[in-house]
Amino acid sequence: MSRPVQSTAALPIAYATLRILIVANWLMAVVILALLFALPNEQWIMKAFKLSPSPDAERVVMGLRVIAVFGLAAIPLHYIVLKRLLAIVETVRSGDPFVAANADRLKAIAWVLFTLQIFSIVIGAIAKAVSSPAHPLHLNAGFSVNGWLAVLFTFLLARVFAEGALMREDLEGTV
Amino acid sequence: MAIAVKLDDLLHDRRMTLTELADRVGMTLANLSILKTGKARAIRFSTLDAICEALSCQPGDLLRFEPATPAESG
Repeated sequence: MSRPVQSTAALPIAYATLRILIVANWLMAVVILALLFALPNEQWIMKAFKLSPSPDAERVVMGLRVIAVFGLAAIPLHYIVLKRLLAIVETVRSGDPFVAANADRLKAIAWVLFTLQIFSIVIGAIAKAVSSPAHPLHLNAGFSVNGWLAVLFTFLLARVFAEGALMREDLEGTV
Repeated sequence: MAIAVKLDDLLHDRRMTLTELADRVGMTLANLSILKTGKARAIRFSTLDAICEALSCQPGDLLRFEPATPAESG
């Protein structure tokens, strides 16, 4: 019953972008690992962040290391999202996106986005805790209305796909 | 499914093959087979209308409610 969709540039672009992002995500993992283990030199970090040696600065470095661990933990979560998006794009390309598997994929993506929002709040709190007037730490993390809306929207979209898949099954079984 | 499709019996009574019925009602043999074997999830009124017309029968002759026994449903 599946029919190939009309050829548009959007799908190949989405496919290529997701492939690039998957590679970029692993590269990010290498960079974070390098920052955590290969380059643990405190002096280097102090210089990179323009910090002067002080207990405050040490706290900032420690905070950054904890944040890097959260960044590392986010890598497999990003991979889960990207791989599932890639699979969804594949089903759109084959002309059959309203399948139960896509509803499950979207639900998994929604849960990952939920976890990443929690990470963001924790990272924002760590940055706030280690930041001082002498060594301010400004990170783009914390509570995000848009982020939580994206979580809600993805859960809703998963439900829409589940209903769509049921309707599709009904339609295919109608004579 | 508690709804049984009695298409086989109707065709037998009228000495008609599934292929002949498919030709008369303008349906594919595949779709009629789905209906005959009870694998259909729904039937359109237009399909019911065409089959009843071709077989000179009532919808009730084609479909029957057969409650599942406890052993089957459990």
